[in-house]
Amino acid sequence: MGLQGYLMLAGALFAIGLFGVITRRNTIGILLGIELMLNAVNINLVAFARFNGDPAGMIFTVFTISITVAEVALGLALVILIFRVRRTVIADHLDILRG
Amino acid sequence: MSLEPIAFAALGAVVLASALAVVLTKNLFHSVLYLALSLTATAGIFLTLDAEFLAAVQLLLYAGGVITIVVFAIVVTERLVGDRITQTSRHLVNGGLVAGALLIAVWGVVRSVPLPLARPPLPGDVTRAIGEALLTRFVLPFELLGVLFLAALLGAIYFARPDE
Amino acid sequence: MTDVGTLALTALLLPAAAFLLLSVAVPLRRSGRPAAYVSVLFAAGALSSAVRAWWGSTRGGFSLWLWPWIPMEAGPLTSLGVLADADSTLMLVLVAGVSFLVQLYSLGYLADEPAPSLGRYYTYQSLFAFSMMGLVLAPNFVQLFVCWELVGLCSYLLIGYWYQRPEAARAAVKAFWTTKAGDVGLLIGIVLLYRQAGTFDFLQLLELVDAGRLPLAGLGVITFCIYLGAVGKSAQFPLHVWLPDAMEGPTPVSALIHAATMVTAGVYLLVRTAWLFDKTPEVLEIVGWVGAFTALLAATLACVQSDIKRVLAYSTVSQLGYMMAAIGAGFASAGFLHLLTHGAFKALLFLGAGAVIHAVGSNDIFAMGGLRRAMPQTFIVFLVGTLSLAGIPLFGGFFSKEEILGAVWVGGLGIPFAMLALAAFLTAFYMFRVVFIAFFGAPAAPGHGAPGGPGGAAHPHDAPASMSVPLWILALASVAIGVGFAVKHPEAELAAPAWITPLAVALALGGILLAWLTYHRRAIDAGRLSDAFALVRDAAANRFWLDDAFLVIYRRVILGFSRLVGWIDRYLVDGVVNLLSAWALGAGDRLRRIQSGQPQDYVYGVALGVLLLIVWFRWLA
Repeated sequence: MGLQGYLMLAGALFAIGLFGVITRRNTIGILLGIELMLNAVNINLVAFARFNGDPAGMIFTVFTISITVAEVALGLALVILIFRVRRTVIADHLDILRG
Repeated sequence: MSLEPIAFAALGAVVLASALAVVLTKNLFHSVLYLALSLTATAGIFLTLDAEFLAAVQLLLYAGGVITIVVFAIVVTERLVGDRITQTSRHLVNGGLVAGALLIAVWGVVRSVPLPLARPPLPGDVTRAIGEALLTRFVLPFELLGVLFLAALLGAIYFARPDE
Repeated sequence: MTDVGTLALTALLLPAAAFLLLSVAVPLRRSGRPAAYVSVLFAAGALSSAVRAWWGSTRGGFSLWLWPWIPMEAGPLTSLGVLADADSTLMLVLVAGVSFLVQLYSLGYLADEPAPSLGRYYTYQSLFAFSMMGLVLAPNFVQLFVCWELVGLCSYLLIGYWYQRPEAARAAVKAFWTTKAGDVGLLIGIVLLYRQAGTFDFLQLLELVDAGRLPLAGLGVITFCIYLGAVGKSAQFPLHVWLPDAMEGPTPVSALIHAATMVTAGVYLLVRTAWLFDKTPEVLEIVGWVGAFTALLAATLACVQSDIKRVLAYSTVSQLGYMMAAIGAGFASAGFLHLLTHGAFKALLFLGAGAVIHAVGSNDIFAMGGLRRAMPQTFIVFLVGTLSLAGIPLFGGFFSKEEILGAVWVGGLGIPFAMLALAAFLTAFYMFRVVFIAFFGAPAAPGHGAPGGPGGAAHPHDAPASMSVPLWILALASVAIGVGFAVKHPEAELAAPAWITPLAVALALGGILLAWLTYHRRAIDAGRLSDAFALVRDAAANRFWLDDAFLVIYRRVILGFSRLVGWIDRYLVDGVVNLLSAWALGAGDRLRRIQSGQPQDYVYGVALGVLLLIVWFRWLA
């Protein structure tokens, strides 16, 4: 399978993740969509690394996975904190910045 | 017929189908489980790309760690709410349109550029190459990653402290 | 001997220095009398410089000093400076002299004013002296116009000196507006002339005209526009209506500005640019006719006035008409000569009237009477002034008035000559009417007439020294001029017919005789005399309805136009602005909904942006 197929797969996965981020009501659901998008990026990176013969892409993937883990941890901690204060996980209710 | 295209097609289908399930199911807990499935299939994709190390990392950190954390978060908030959180989605049409348009744009770009079909030969042991590069070429980002983890750890502890 | 130009410049700058000092040093100005002394001192210095400058110019001195003002590539657009020749230095002496005497006189006349007001008065006086001298010495049209406007400003400030009185405030505004109407014409004329000639400078323009390089087409319009400025400033018909009302100002102001100096600026302008007007004889004819008509009109109006200052005001208008008539006949020097002599004796008459008003407490001549015995000195000087105005030989105005009559006859303006002759008769009549009513006869019963001026006493007496010294100086000057001309006849510019002189004297004596018979001897009943001319008398009492006409024009046309413009401004111009702002506000209201506070919407926006970027870079760029 050529590079094109992998890139199209990653693109589709990214689009699905974006759809999830935009449409989901629950904050945790939004985080899941973000996970999908990051996953798509990883697929991209590894595919390019393989087809260019340069392991740098895989190293980038290691980095992104690590950072994603940290981000998910803290993101969920924030969700829990907001839940403690505002008693809701529905993203629609968190509109203090409304202009 | 070689195994590879079939493996790719099957794994790809699983990835996309479970991803769709993640964003479309009403039950949040089911979404998480579908996410786990999608991440595991991605590990398979990595295997078809001869990135064994990354497949292992994916399974360990993503399908293991991240899913665990998310499940715990759901449990904590779900318990506090008291019942299952059913979700509905908002602005389905808008989101679908934008995502679909973006998909078409990306696919258009990818298809219009000539991309290599054949893989170059493996440059020896990939895992070894990754390890060496991590400590020579990319040692600075590696160390900074450590700092980042420290910060994340401190942040998590700060968030987790009880209200006084 | 110092250069004429330097002396003229000194005379110009001394009042300017006084003005600056008084306007900046507020405590000095507020202190009243010290400010007055400063101003009078500087005015004395200016007078001595002016006299020396004139003396130098009579010996052939001539000076032109210029400082470039508005720069342009090929030399300055216009300059400021001093053009000191025979005419301008002579006029300078008149201005400086009358200014000094009036300021001295005001020390006594305005002695009862509060100190800050007195300081304000002298500040304005110094500014006026500077402006008028700047006008007289102007080497080009621009400086002339600037000083012209400054002089108008000072007139406004000084007429409205007692601004708490509504009549004074109204009169000041009326003077300003009426002269402004003429000034518009002057400005248009100046600009048109610049377009034709390319320069504002008098000497350069004179050169162009003499060399015949100034195109004659359209010159008539230019000179007529310039004449319009003189119409306003020198109170020619129909813009004469402001001068009688300007009498609301203090009498010394009337003497200075509305007799000797400011109103003569228009005459001076025409004298200064006579070489230009000579090229447009049709405009000169208009000048002559209007001048003669103004002289007659004002003389008739003076006959029905009971306010002594109003009589003198109309008399000034009439005499200005004389000067203009002479210029219109083509003999500008005759008009200029009358300007100088008239300046002396009219100032004298006003200051004398001021002394009377100060003593009696009223402007009404019927509230006076028998002042000959109560104020003998004032009576003598006032009589000198009246004889000068009437044109009796050996007194100031005789020679110049005769010159004008001769000039108008020789210039070929027949009907204007008749008008001037009739006006001469009336001039003698109404002036002696005032003399006989106010200075002869029995003192008026107390309570007659309304109080019009400051001071006021039950027993009138002669004025204090500060007021009487200027009076005597002016009286002596009038007599000296009269005798001087009688002894040393200046070479006549024109060959007037021999019967002019006897005619002039006869007209004057006839007017005096009629006044004597009517108001002293009571041989002719004043009531029946005025009934004989009932139509004219009633029209004159209504000032020939000119003021009413102007009021109607003002209310209907000007205010109506203002209201229209105001409506356009409020609803159309502001409407557009308000509409735009309403659109902006509405757009803002609607656009703020983008800021929903929902992060997902912002992600949506970002995704849209990325999409657009991809589309643009891939397919459109």
